[in-house]
Amino acid sequence: MVELDPTEHEIADLGPKVNQIDDVDELKEMLALEEDGEDRAPVKTLIESRIETLEEEDEEVDLSEADIGDMTIAELANAIRGVDDADLLRELIEQENTGKERSGAISQLESRIESIEGSGDGDGEELEYVPPEEKYPNLDHPTADKQYIEGVKGEHYRDMWVYCETQQNELIDVSKEMLGKARELMDDYNDKYGGDEDGNPEDVVAVIIGDDVADLAEEAIAYGADYVLYHEDDELERFRHKPYTEIFCHMCRDWDVEFRDYYEPRYTIFPATNNGRDLSALVQGELDSGLASDCSDLYIDEAMISNPAKTGKPGDSIEFDRVLHMPRPDFSGFEYSTILCIDKPFRDFHPQGASVIPGTFDLPEPDHEREGESIEHDIDLPDDWFHITVEEYDQLEGGVDLTGHDVIVCMGRGIDTRDPTEGIELGVELTDAFEDAGFGLTRGVITASYEFGGHVEQYVREERQIGESGQVVEPELYIAAGVSGAVQHKVGMDEAETIVAINTNPDADIRDFSDYFIEGDLYDVLPRLIDALEEGELGAVLAEASDD
Amino acid sequence: MHMVTLTKGVPDFREGKVSFDEDGHLERGKTPTVMNPNDKIALRAALQTKVKHGGTVSLMSMGPPGYKEILEEGMSDIYADDLYLLSDREMGAADTWATAMTVATGLEKLDPDVDLIFAGFKTADGETGHTGPQTNWCIDINDEMEDRPLITHVISLEVDEENRKVRAKRLVEGDIEEIETIEADLPAFIVTDPEFEANYHRAEHRLRYKDLRTETQERAANLDYDEDVTVWNHEALNLDPDFIGLDGSPTIVAGVDPIPKGPSEREARMVTPNDDEGMEAVFEELKPYAAGD
Repeated sequence: MVELDPTEHEIADLGPKVNQIDDVDELKEMLALEEDGEDRAPVKTLIESRIETLEEEDEEVDLSEADIGDMTIAELANAIRGVDDADLLRELIEQENTGKERSGAISQLESRIESIEGSGDGDGEELEYVPPEEKYPNLDHPTADKQYIEGVKGEHYRDMWVYCETQQNELIDVSKEMLGKARELMDDYNDKYGGDEDGNPEDVVAVIIGDDVADLAEEAIAYGADYVLYHEDDELERFRHKPYTEIFCHMCRDWDVEFRDYYEPRYTIFPATNNGRDLSALVQGELDSGLASDCSDLYIDEAMISNPAKTGKPGDSIEFDRVLHMPRPDFSGFEYSTILCIDKPFRDFHPQGASVIPGTFDLPEPDHEREGESIEHDIDLPDDWFHITVEEYDQLEGGVDLTGHDVIVCMGRGIDTRDPTEGIELGVELTDAFEDAGFGLTRGVITASYEFGGHVEQYVREERQIGESGQVVEPELYIAAGVSGAVQHKVGMDEAETIVAINTNPDADIRDFSDYFIEGDLYDVLPRLIDALEEGELGAVLAEASDD
Repeated sequence: MHMVTLTKGVPDFREGKVSFDEDGHLERGKTPTVMNPNDKIALRAALQTKVKHGGTVSLMSMGPPGYKEILEEGMSDIYADDLYLLSDREMGAADTWATAMTVATGLEKLDPDVDLIFAGFKTADGETGHTGPQTNWCIDINDEMEDRPLITHVISLEVDEENRKVRAKRLVEGDIEEIETIEADLPAFIVTDPEFEANYHRAEHRLRYKDLRTETQERAANLDYDEDVTVWNHEALNLDPDFIGLDGSPTIVAGVDPIPKGPSEREARMVTPNDDEGMEAVFEELKPYAAGD
């Protein structure tokens, strides 16, 4: 039986999952399931291309025969990963030196040699702790004295703690999504590791802070918690940074409570909402540990680390187990990074923390039969934790809802070949030329630092973003002007019935999921389409089109 | 009134500026570095406060010596009276916690009694949104500096200098979105939301804004990087190298992958603007949805 049955998933959420599967047989089984099921061509392509990638990786490259000049640096890095013959690697450096002389290739080879042979000094010796006063005698106030450095090592950590955010006395959706994911992660964890270091299963611990929240404990248990810790007080009706941080940290580090017979949590998970993300940063800071924000996945696995900041010695590689892997989109959506929070010599970095994008994980079915324990946390809340007064709050009216329109017009970064203000104007004009259309933007337009004219600023808002971290739309007709087609954008629109792309670059990724691709400048094409919609017929080309 | 705005240099992700290698990785060397767009919004909040209440606006960054240009960009595009750069190899490759630690110590050295600290929301590269809150937490537990309320996701701000108070509107997310109005005492730490808007309702403020903009642009144009930017290294800040930069960072980046390309799912019909037949076919798709008269 395969872990991931493709027939139970939409193509949009299969992509990242399939790319994490490393077992070719499992992939083949999935392919068969899909063929017996809906037999969706894109799903099969996805699985097949993953199989192909894996099989390519498996092909042993015989480096003693190879001409590394034909390989990209990435291919070379993959090929030498399993090579333990330092002499062979030195020959390859020689080959590169007389060949293409790529510094990237040489440094890949050198670092592989270093990780085989070690740096040569002090191999195998135990690291010795040197107090900062001795290590840096020129500094008169060693930083380790600052209160926020705990410098603990070798403490006992357990469990996955989940901060469950509430609004109007209800768990918000992302809280339930996180509980479901935490349940799944810790069930797998207990299977894989047989529980903690002493063989006792580890738990999912939900934390709820607010006014009148005790009733939510039952729900948190139904969604996957083993323990629910709650603190209720009418002063806590609205989130405030200081008291919420102090309470959370007290619960997980200082509180003398029977169930928590360990130093601090092993993992902490927060929602990547405005308040949840802030809380995650403050809690992890106070606990002297690290975190990744806005994660789009989470998994627990081993990690081989050769970073000297973590191993203590250049050239050493150390395997860390039970590491929370935290993949997240960054670089304005251009890359995915996987962040790890790793102990270093003489200093633990636990809990390993993450915040997750709402909607990333499925909303689980609650199991009202599940058993768990709810425990009230009660400490005095000093007045000086409440130095911010919330005077009033208003619910924002809906915002912009782009779902449910016949047509969506979406503008991408292609608008900056001219004054971007003009691009927005054109997009809005095209939207208005339809009976029922919505106007959207890619994330790129929102994050770029364009200077927009005041009259279009109202259109350049996050609430109009289409894609992974924005809205997901399924209109009859989707017009993408100047949109390159990053995968995060794709998941927000590729269920549209008909997709028309307008782009000057015929190799833009969006071509792969468009029905029509107009290879041209949106500043020429859009006015023509607007005129045509207004006139009821397509006019001739206005100006002589250029050939380039 | 002393205000400090924090900033960072980021790759310029605008189309035509940003450059990738054959494996799809960002080429830092070929991509220009600019001031983080969200930090400009924070600096606008500081400028608004200066216009209305006077005082000094300092601009501080942590990064390589080349970041002096980022500080100049802030001075020229928005406003700054003086510029500070925390710069040292030991500070390199810091995650948010090691950065917060360094920046908080920089603030302590500059002025432990600073009235208002401004930071932007996420940076365009790391995109964590953590550094502002964590910097204030370092201040909170540092005995040398007065504790201050942290006010994040601020979309509008008013300072009552006489009563030493700030009033702000902030955005709250979740299943419902809310705008909160909060009040707190000075000194305070403000993190602006990308939707922050400065306001200048009074004519005298608009005039003063114009004057300050002219003045800061002149200052930026005549900036001497050696004379006019104060640079502090880890020794000047008395920071132990084991607790800053990469060595002091709880987290590391284990892998960076280009965003995977989705498999091809549709066969696009290629059309050029002067291909009448093709354009006609596109128009036929659009026509049924045209607005009525």
